[in-house]
Amino acid sequence: MIEAHGLTKRYGTKLAVDDVTFTVRPGIVTGFLGPNGAGKSTTMRMIMGLDRPTAGSVTVNGSPYAQHARPLAEVGALLEAKAVHPGRTARQHLQALAATHGIATTRVDEVIELTGLSAVARKRVGGFSLGMGQRLGVAVALLGDPRTLILDEPVNGLDPEGVLWVRNLARYLAGQGRTVFLSSHLMSEVALTADHVVVIGRGRILADTTVQDLLDGASRRAVLVRSPQATELAEALRRDGAEVARRDDGALMVTGADAARVGETAAVAGAVLHELTPTASTLEEAYMELTADAVEYRSEEMTEGAPR
Amino acid sequence: MTATTRPTTETASPSPAVAVLPVTFGRVLRAEWIKFRTLRSTVWTVVITAVVMIGFALMMASLMRLAADTPEMAEGMNNDPGFQSLGMSGTTVITLGYSFAQLAVAVLAALIVTNEYSTGMIRSTFAAVPRRLPALWAKLVVIVLTTVVVIALALGVAYLVTLPILDAANLSVDLSDSEQVRALGGCVLYLATVAAFSLAVGALMRHSAGAIFTLVAIFFVLPLIFSIVVAASDAAWTDWVNKLLPSVAGERIISTGPSSDVLLEPWTGYAVLAGYTVVLLVAAAVTLKRRDA
Repeated sequence: MIEAHGLTKRYGTKLAVDDVTFTVRPGIVTGFLGPNGAGKSTTMRMIMGLDRPTAGSVTVNGSPYAQHARPLAEVGALLEAKAVHPGRTARQHLQALAATHGIATTRVDEVIELTGLSAVARKRVGGFSLGMGQRLGVAVALLGDPRTLILDEPVNGLDPEGVLWVRNLARYLAGQGRTVFLSSHLMSEVALTADHVVVIGRGRILADTTVQDLLDGASRRAVLVRSPQATELAEALRRDGAEVARRDDGALMVTGADAARVGETAAVAGAVLHELTPTASTLEEAYMELTADAVEYRSEEMTEGAPR
Repeated sequence: MTATTRPTTETASPSPAVAVLPVTFGRVLRAEWIKFRTLRSTVWTVVITAVVMIGFALMMASLMRLAADTPEMAEGMNNDPGFQSLGMSGTTVITLGYSFAQLAVAVLAALIVTNEYSTGMIRSTFAAVPRRLPALWAKLVVIVLTTVVVIALALGVAYLVTLPILDAANLSVDLSDSEQVRALGGCVLYLATVAAFSLAVGALMRHSAGAIFTLVAIFFVLPLIFSIVVAASDAAWTDWVNKLLPSVAGERIISTGPSSDVLLEPWTGYAVLAGYTVVLLVAAAVTLKRRDA
């Protein structure tokens, strides 16, 4: 269980995390979703006591992380791939961390096997690929058999098999009753792995809901219409209170009216319909819509009629 | 949520009983020792430190032997005030390498901390030891004890390998002479303190290049510059700054010559270096606890 209350982090004049309050519950996978730079990593680092909050507080399993007698048994964290000295082997790295909690070498070898690192455990980490570094990070997180897992972008750099492995592992650990808090900037990843989702943008919580609700609530239904009398039809629909956007290929995207109403309006206006298609927005569209104002680094859209 | 609500992992987990014990200083110390001995760079630096100590002792012993066989050279040495001030003895010969060994020790001690910051390892360290200070003190114990053992061993080896050469030069390490005993112990003490000083500088600066530059300046460049300035200038402040420099003050503990009117007494000098070290360690502890990792 992770409980954050009014958590705030300011770097100079920049507010990285702005008065964030949320609870991550045990037994389910909670996704932490947001664009790059939204404050996900900063929040996770504050949970682990690595960054000091400017204001607010956060507890893990009831206490601030640093106050636990056995921190690694409370929280296992993958905060970034390769928080490791490249000159040590994976096994030496794990052994050094295990020693702080008197964890036996047999457990070190166990997590090495569990994360599929057996073949490279005695190789120096400097030569590891991003994916292997990520697996080592997961091995570190599992070392103390923790009640709570914090995984920051765990699938970064993993191959498809690795991605599937992390997904299954997260669900398996949550199924054992543990708290799993997993961040991603990819809506699709969270939708596949998480049950609950906390959405963050520009340091603020935008949504704290189940994944299903997020998809239902944020998705907006639209109707695609093609008509030779598009201009007249658009005017008629607007008079009816619908929103109409004209696409480049001449089709109309109508929101605020369902297909039946569009059809009726067209009949009244005497417009011929060539196409009438109800569409549901995709996961990514729902997410983009939610975070549209909260994206820090936005790519400019290509303007129409720009010189080629 | 209390500890009694531990979920049913005992039955479901593939590892039914992972024994995880509380973090204690002893365990953190063990972890830091594992980290220390598993890096090739630290192991090599330790070896180089010992080699430098022994190598300089051999070189100096051979030089003294040559001087004993060459009357003109012996006369030149006797007339050299700088040489006289060393109060040449067997102890002077075997401790001579400290001024170079201190650079290796200083760099090693600083890197123990700064390499964790440059590689990101520090976040793994603080995730395992979130109270942070035990990790700093454990690093301190590791580097100080390693320095003590390595320098004591190096002095022992230097004593043995220079013994026949020094005999021929009519010099000896006289353990009944309290001044020589103080200088021998002082050599170990000085380098161990340099290690602690440098660890604190590393923890304060957190960048390898910056910390190494600072330490080389403090222990090598500044004393060199001031030895020239003091000789060239009559201003009293230059004498004062010079004798209070960390290395100039601290290395008085290794000196066996007659006492000097421009330098501190041996134990006073060492106390000055120890004072700097304590202040730096406290500053390092305070900032380590406060700053974001």
